[in-house]
Amino acid sequence: MFVFRMAARELRASWRRLVFFFVCVAIGVAAIVSLRSIIQSIRAGLVREARSSIAADVLVQSSRPWTPDVTDALDARIARAPVLARTAAIETATMVRAESGAAVARMVELRGVEKGFPFYGTLALQNGVQYSHDLLRRGGALVRPELLTQLGIAVGGRIVIGGRPFTIRGVIDQEPGRSVGGFSFGSRVLVDLADLKASGLLTFGSRANYQVLLKVREDGVESLTRDIRLGFRDRFVNARSYRSTQDQIGENLQRAENFLSLVGFVIVVLGGIGVWSVTRVFVRQKMRSVAILKCIGASTAQVLVTYVLQVALLALAGSLMGVLIASLAMRAIPASLASSFGGLSYGLTMSAVGQGLAVGLLVSVLFALVPLLDVRRIKPLLLIRGTDIAQTAVAPRPAARAGLRARAAAMLARMDWLQIGTAALVGGALIAVASWQAGSWRAGAAVSAGFAGVSAALYGAAFLLVRLVSPLASAPWFPLRHAVISLRRPGNQTRVILLAVGLGSFFVLGVRALQNNLIAEFAVGADRGGADMFLIDVQRDQVDGVRALLQQRLDAVTNPVRLVPVLRARVTAVRGRETNLANPADVRGQGSLAREYTITYRNKLEANEEIVQGAFWTGAPASAGSSAEVSIEQSIHERFNINIGDDMRFDVLGRAITARVTSVRRVEWTQSRAGGFMFVFQPGVLDDAPQTFVGFAKGPSDPGARARLQYDLVSRFPNVTTIDGREILAKIQSVVDNAVLGISIVGGVALFSGTLILIGAVAMTKFQRVYEAAILRTLGASTGLLTATLALEYCALGLLAGIIGAAGALGLSWGVTRHVLDIPWRPAPGLLAAGAVLTMVLVGMVGIVASADVLRKKPLATLRAE
Amino acid sequence: MIELRGVSKTVPSGSGMLTILHPLDLVVPARQVVAITGPSGSGKSTLLGLIAGLDSPSTGQIAIDGIEISALGEDGLARLRGRRIGFVFQFFHLLPSLTALENVLVPMEIARAKDAKSRATALLAEVGLSARGHHYPSQLSGGEQQRVAIARALANDPPLLLADEPTGNLDSTTGGQVIELLLDVNRLRGTTLVLVTHDPELAAVADVAIALRDGHVFSRTPRDGRAAGTRPDAARVPDPAVR
Repeated sequence: MFVFRMAARELRASWRRLVFFFVCVAIGVAAIVSLRSIIQSIRAGLVREARSSIAADVLVQSSRPWTPDVTDALDARIARAPVLARTAAIETATMVRAESGAAVARMVELRGVEKGFPFYGTLALQNGVQYSHDLLRRGGALVRPELLTQLGIAVGGRIVIGGRPFTIRGVIDQEPGRSVGGFSFGSRVLVDLADLKASGLLTFGSRANYQVLLKVREDGVESLTRDIRLGFRDRFVNARSYRSTQDQIGENLQRAENFLSLVGFVIVVLGGIGVWSVTRVFVRQKMRSVAILKCIGASTAQVLVTYVLQVALLALAGSLMGVLIASLAMRAIPASLASSFGGLSYGLTMSAVGQGLAVGLLVSVLFALVPLLDVRRIKPLLLIRGTDIAQTAVAPRPAARAGLRARAAAMLARMDWLQIGTAALVGGALIAVASWQAGSWRAGAAVSAGFAGVSAALYGAAFLLVRLVSPLASAPWFPLRHAVISLRRPGNQTRVILLAVGLGSFFVLGVRALQNNLIAEFAVGADRGGADMFLIDVQRDQVDGVRALLQQRLDAVTNPVRLVPVLRARVTAVRGRETNLANPADVRGQGSLAREYTITYRNKLEANEEIVQGAFWTGAPASAGSSAEVSIEQSIHERFNINIGDDMRFDVLGRAITARVTSVRRVEWTQSRAGGFMFVFQPGVLDDAPQTFVGFAKGPSDPGARARLQYDLVSRFPNVTTIDGREILAKIQSVVDNAVLGISIVGGVALFSGTLILIGAVAMTKFQRVYEAAILRTLGASTGLLTATLALEYCALGLLAGIIGAAGALGLSWGVTRHVLDIPWRPAPGLLAAGAVLTMVLVGMVGIVASADVLRKKPLATLRAE
Repeated sequence: MIELRGVSKTVPSGSGMLTILHPLDLVVPARQVVAITGPSGSGKSTLLGLIAGLDSPSTGQIAIDGIEISALGEDGLARLRGRRIGFVFQFFHLLPSLTALENVLVPMEIARAKDAKSRATALLAEVGLSARGHHYPSQLSGGEQQRVAIARALANDPPLLLADEPTGNLDSTTGGQVIELLLDVNRLRGTTLVLVTHDPELAAVADVAIALRDGHVFSRTPRDGRAAGTRPDAARVPDPAVR
C-alpha cells in the first residue's frame, strides 16, 4: 500500500533528522516503565508475602490487655469458625541492656511468642540454625545482629529486659512481616510469651500490642475477620486478614505507583513538546515533498496518513528504546537499595512495559497531529511559486487600514477550525492519559491545568516580548537590531522555544524548589534545641525517682526535667449528642472524634501553644463535683465545629467525664517535642484517674554520658522506655536521604529531558537561519557579528523562558507545600533566580553550539541549495 | 482537449487586488504542442498552474477532456492530475528521499497501477537512465534529474503533459536533449504538450506559441510561423487553437 511504502521510504531518509524526536520519546517511556516496574515488583513481592507478613490468616489485636469478658467473647466467636490453630503474641517497645560488659542500653521492639509461631513464612536464623520455639523457652532470646554489635555481646551472652536476664540463643536473619523497609523504633528481639508476661514490663498503661494469631480454613477467613471487626469495634479490638493486608499494601503502593507514573507522564509530556516542535519544523522541511506528492496525484489524506504513520513508527521505536533504557536502569539499581526492601527482585513488568509503550505512542502521535495537519494547507502551487504555509492560509490577511470588524472577520476566516478542533481533542486526550496514569481524574486534570496555565503564560509572554522589543528593530547596533528582527520575523520560533524551554524549566525548577522545601522542613525538624530524650510508661510511683536521677545528671537550671501525666480517652458525646463509635482502628484513619486521644491536665500553657479563642483557666483546680474545663486544639475546633461553651463527654478508661470547652489553643506542631495535646484538661478531675507519665529532657550531648544515663535508667526502672531522639532523627534522616535521592533522580531525569527539548527546539530552528546567515555573510557580516546576533536572540529567549518557568515553579511549590504536603512554604528565591540565569546561559550556549555549522558553512553552498 | 472559458486570476496585493491573468478563452486540441512564452510576471506559470489544477481561477471555467476542474476539490484535482496530467518543473522537484526508480514509481503507487515496477523500469529506460534507477536525486546531474522527472510525469501514461520551463535550469546541450525527449513523447505517445518557456528554439517547434504580456495574450503564432495579430484581444479571434 502506498502510504506504508512511502512512510518507510521517508523514514529511511529522514530518521537522522528525527533522532531527537526518538530520544524525547525514549526518555519519557523509560521513566514510566522503570518507575512503574519498580513499584509493581515491590507490590507483587509484598502481596505474595502478605500471609507471612502477618504470619497468620487472621491477626486479632488490641492495644489493651485482654480482659476476661473480651477473651470469653472472642473465644466463643473463634469456636464457631473453622480455626485450625491459634497462638498468642505481645509486642512492645522496651529497653534492653547487656547484663555485663558495656554500659549501653538500646530500645528494641520486643515480641513475645508462643509455640506455633509463625503459621506462615520462615524465621530465618544465621549460621544455619533452625528456628524452633525451644530456643526461646526458659529465658531464651533471639536478636538481630545489630543489637549484638550495639551491646558488644555475642550469642550465648545475656541481656536484661525488664529487669530479667535472657540468654541470646540465635541471631535473626529475616523475620516474617519485617521484610518491608518500614520504619521501626528499634531492632527486633523475640522471647517466649510467658517470659515477657513475667518480665514486669506490662504494667498499667504500657504501650503494648496484644495479638492472637489464627490459622483459619480459607472459607472462614473473611467472615471471621468481619465478625470480629463488627462485634468488638468499641472494645479496642481489631482484626485483619492476610487478604485485607494485601488490599492495604496494594492500595498504598497503587497510590505510589500512580504518583510516580504521573511524574513519568510529565516527562513524556516534556518529550511530547519536543516531538511537537520537531514535527512542526519537519513539516516545514517537507513542504516541497508534500507539494510534489500532491502534484502527482496523492490526496491530502494519503499524505497525512503517510506522515502520521512515520511519526507512529518513530514513536514506537523510541518507546521500545525507552523500554531498553528502563531495563538497563533496573539492572543498575544498587543491590543495597534492593536489600533495603527485603531483597525483593526487580524486573520489568509486562503491565509497565505495555503502559509505557501505549503512553509513548499516544503522546507522540497526539503531539505530532496538530503540526502535521499543516500538510493539508500545503498547495502544489508552491512548486511553481515559492509559497509558504503561512501564505497558503485559508484566507488572506486584511489590509492594515481595515476596520476592527473586518480584521476580526478576517482573523476568524483565517482560523483553521480543523486544527483548532484537533488541538482541543488532543488536549482532552492528554488529560485522559494523565488521569489514567495518575489513577485519578482530579490529579490528571490538575497536572494538565498546571501545564496549560504555564503554556498560556508562556504564549502570552512570547507575544508581549515580540511587541516590547519591536522598537529595538531600529537600534543602531547591528547584532541587537537583527536579534530583534529574528524574534519577530514571519515564521519565527519565538513561541516554540519559549514554550518548550519555559515548560522544561518550570518542571525542573518546580521539582528542585519542592525538594528544597522538603529538605529544609526535615532539617528544621532535626535541628531544634529542644528535648531529645523521651521517657514513656513512667509509673506514678516512679516519677520522683526518675526525676531525681535525671536532675542529678542534667543541669536542672538550663535543662528542667518535665514529667507530664498522660491518659487515654475517647470522645463519646458532643453537646449531648453521641458521636459515631466506629471501630477505633477504622476511625483512626478517618480522623473521627471517636478515636482514642492521649490527653493531659495542667494549669499553664506550653511555649509552643497559644490561645486563639476563650481563656485558659487560672486559679484553683476544679473540684470533684463541679464541671471540668477542657481546652481543645484548633484543628478539633475547625474539623468538628466544636466551640467555646460546648459540653463534651469523654470515656477515660471506662469512666465518663464531662467537660466544658473554655478555650481553643493553637499548637505549633513542628515544635511539639515539648509535647502537643489535642485536649488539655483543667487539673482536678483527672488527678486520681489511672495514668502514666511521659518525660521530656535534653540529654547529655556527650555520647558516653548519654549511653550511661540510658543504661542507669533501664537498670533502675526496667519498665520505662527511653526513646533517644537523636537515634530516631538519624533513622528519619536516612529515610529522608533515600527520599531525597529518589526526588533528585526524578528531578535529574526531568532536567535531562528539559535540556534535550531545548537542544531540539534550537537545533530544529536553525535551518531557517542558515539561509539568512549565508546572505548576511555574502553582504560582509563577520562570524563574530553573526555570533553576537545569535547569542543576543537566544539569551533573551532563555532569560524570558527561565523567568516564566521560575514563576511557575514558585506557584507550584507554594501550592504543593501548602495544600498537599501541609508544610510551611519557603520560596527559595536564590534557587529560582539561579535557575532563570542558568536557563538563559544554557539556551544561549545551545543556540550558538547548535548553530555552529550555520556559522561555519560556506555561503555559496547554502545559497545554491536554496 | 483543454478548454478555458473566461479564465482570470486576481490576487490580493497590499491594500488592493492585482490581476495576474486577464479573462482568457483557450482551446488546446489533443496531441498538440503549445508553447506559452512571455517575460517574467506576464502570467505564464499562473496559466499553466491553472490548467494543472494547482491553483483555482478567480473567474471562468477550465475543462480537461470534458471534465470541469473548477468544480473539483483538492483531492479530486489530485486524482485528476494523477491519471490525466503529467507535470515537469524547471527545478525538477524530485523527492530527495527517494531513488530515481522510486520517484517514477510513486504516481503509479498512488493510482494503484498494476506492474508499477516493470513500467517504472521501462520508463527509465525510455529516458535513457536504466542504469541510474537506484541513485538518489542528489547523485544525478540536472539533465538526468529532469529526465527522471519526465519519466515520472509519464508514469500513468497521461494524455496531457505540462512543463514549466523544463530547460530553464539546464545548459543548452542538455536542454536540447530534454526538448527532443518531450517532442518524442508527443509524437510517439500522442500526448498533448503545454509548455512554458523562455526558449525561442522550443517555442519555434510548437504547433502554437502563445505570448503573454501583463496578463494579456499579446500574440499567438501557429505552426507555420504566421502572426495572427498583435492586439491584446487577439486571442478572441476564432482559431483552431485559440479563440
